[in-house]
Amino acid sequence: MSDSKPNHLTRRDFLRQTSMLSGMLLLAACAPGATQAPSSGSEAGPTTAPAAPEGVTVQFWTGWGELVPFFDELKDTDEFRELMGANDVVMKPTVKTEALLTAIAAGTPPDITSEAPYQDLMAREVLLPIDDWVNASSIIKRDDFIQGNWDRGYYQNVQYGVPAWECFVRFGLDYNARMIEAAGLDPDNPPVTWDDALEWHKALTQFDDAGNLLQIGLDPYDAEGGGIGDGFLAARSWGFDWFDEETGEFNLDNPKMADAFEVMGEFYRIAGPDNMAGMRSVEGQDTWGGSYNAEVQAMIIEGYWHPGETMSQKPEVGKYNRATWVPVPEDRRGAKIQGTGGHYVIFFKDAANAQAGFPFAEYLTTNTACNLLFDNVGWLPAYKPYLDQADANKYPGLDFYFQSVKEATEIEPPKNCPITSFVHDTYAQLREEVYRDKMTGAAAAAEFQKRCEQEWKDAGFAA
Amino acid sequence: MATAQPGTKSGMTRSERRRLIQGLLFISPWLIGFLLFTIYPLASSLYYSFTRYDLLRDPVFIGMRNYTSLVTTDSMFWVVIYNTLFYVLLAAPAGVVSAFLMAALLNTKLMGRPFFRAVFFFPAIIPTIVTAVVWQFLLNVQFGLFNSILQGLQLPTIPFLSNPAYAKPSLVMIYIWAQGNAIVIFLAALQDVPRQLYEAAEVDGARAWHKFRHITIPLTTPVILFNLIMGFIYAFQEFTLPWLLTGGGPANATEFYTIYLYRNAFQFLRMGKASALAWILFIIIVVFTAVLFKTSARWVFYNTETE
Repeated sequence: MSDSKPNHLTRRDFLRQTSMLSGMLLLAACAPGATQAPSSGSEAGPTTAPAAPEGVTVQFWTGWGELVPFFDELKDTDEFRELMGANDVVMKPTVKTEALLTAIAAGTPPDITSEAPYQDLMAREVLLPIDDWVNASSIIKRDDFIQGNWDRGYYQNVQYGVPAWECFVRFGLDYNARMIEAAGLDPDNPPVTWDDALEWHKALTQFDDAGNLLQIGLDPYDAEGGGIGDGFLAARSWGFDWFDEETGEFNLDNPKMADAFEVMGEFYRIAGPDNMAGMRSVEGQDTWGGSYNAEVQAMIIEGYWHPGETMSQKPEVGKYNRATWVPVPEDRRGAKIQGTGGHYVIFFKDAANAQAGFPFAEYLTTNTACNLLFDNVGWLPAYKPYLDQADANKYPGLDFYFQSVKEATEIEPPKNCPITSFVHDTYAQLREEVYRDKMTGAAAAAEFQKRCEQEWKDAGFAA
Repeated sequence: MATAQPGTKSGMTRSERRRLIQGLLFISPWLIGFLLFTIYPLASSLYYSFTRYDLLRDPVFIGMRNYTSLVTTDSMFWVVIYNTLFYVLLAAPAGVVSAFLMAALLNTKLMGRPFFRAVFFFPAIIPTIVTAVVWQFLLNVQFGLFNSILQGLQLPTIPFLSNPAYAKPSLVMIYIWAQGNAIVIFLAALQDVPRQLYEAAEVDGARAWHKFRHITIPLTTPVILFNLIMGFIYAFQEFTLPWLLTGGGPANATEFYTIYLYRNAFQFLRMGKASALAWILFIIIVVFTAVLFKTSARWVFYNTETE
């Protein structure tokens, strides 16, 4: 710009106004939102029964996508309106954990959430204690819930979660009776021990003439077989406590864990580790069951939802579904193991309308809500009054899960370990080392113990 | 350079100071953004790297412990270092060589040249998630297109992504395929090579290979250096494709540095450790880049040297 050009006042004015505007915008951005958390969000937690402010919108985030098709229907009921009053619930589906963590870290969590790393969040003090709300509720009563499901909503004797979503029981060996018969096996005499299951696996696993895998019997690490968060199957099946919640001590370096690595790994060796990796990868991340639905996998270790979900996703496969006890080692023949767990409604400290979300958790225990969930996705609650009247034969194989609650010799909730995600990932790494013969089961068990103890210390949980 | 003038404290006249303030105000939106969204996160991550921080609770200062435990007690750290160096040292040079050769080919009088140029650039504009899904569909051991053909021919399948020995090379192959940006940059450089040099070489009886070896390559070395540096930086930070295709497996074969960093930050809630990992990666990249620049004096030819 030429210096000879007159330097009008307007430029200075413009600059002054621009800087003032920038300052105001900056201040506005830094100012607290209009809907900051009310006193109910204090660290001490609520002290009275829910008295939600009128006309607020409860933000509900979840990792599920299954609710999308009928969530509006779930809200369009008399019970919902009666319990929620003028308040509403807006769902944000398929939220990944990292998005949730970022929102919490930024101080802007949703009001309530489900399908989240419950134990990790409970242990890190970001959730509201809800003991007082529950005590004041005329709907949520401890005795109405299966004890194992109820107990998992606690961390260090404080209640953080209501077992209001799909909960119920987590372990069963589901199998496709048509495929079993086609392999010359008797679907009326399913495997009881891991040796039995391995024999079925061998009979069901097929290769073409060039040695390419066509179908498998069982992937013991698929679905509920490989996770930790919903209960550690290997520990349950072999019968040991892998973590002491009171002392924070791990018990992973033991002969049973070593044996579990070897025995479960044998299923992979038979089908071929590369083949199994390929089969799992086509299902993408965070999904399972695709190969069972495609009838290239004859058995799967799953929870009670499997019969309903399979029927909903692939009825022509779901009609052949049957379920039985998950296998145990020969020296535990006769042990009937079952686990509780599942999904909770949890409430965030820094949320604006967390308390207003509590009636939504209450609503989810009503017959209307439970029926909608059961009919649409086959999900069941841990709520005994509903379970007593639910149709146990609605989906093929479902009756086993109902019976299992009465007949199980061992039924427990998962361990509340604050480094569950780490344990889960480490378990996945080490078992692969074993079935690829890079490590023995005993060495993997020792390494498992070592890594978990180190992480426990590094994450700041050691005394 | 400004010199101090009598009567002014800062060595500036009132007019100069006013112009400076005006200039700063005009660039203030960028400055504010830079401070808020670059400098602040950088400084925060440096601070967090010295703390135990799980994203959800306040950070606790622990000094150098994140760094020392990574190097001394974390068995995965050296695994991811090895995986990443394997990938970087293979993928980045191979990507530059293939992009350069492809650009040289596209710079010839080829029939349908614009079409082929567009085709080779496509991978650069396709979202990585789409690329991952397509390659999964092509390479999967049971249901992939390539292996289905092999199965149809009664031949053994190739576990491209599910065998630890093949997984990294398969990812390198995909990296080489997606060199559209580098090809375009090389094309621009190749078109900048003076025609008269080729004509003079032809008069002297030079053949195609000699022209390529003694004219094309030397005159494009600055761009080769640029693409190599960018390639190294990109390969060091590779995350999306291996995460989507293999999730770090099989048997940790594709557990690259950034995947491990992400895992620590968002799965294990170890943001302090993840920040330390990020700063170590930053130092590694700086060292690599510095070494490349240092050696460039020996092999990079700048046109200005002839003037």
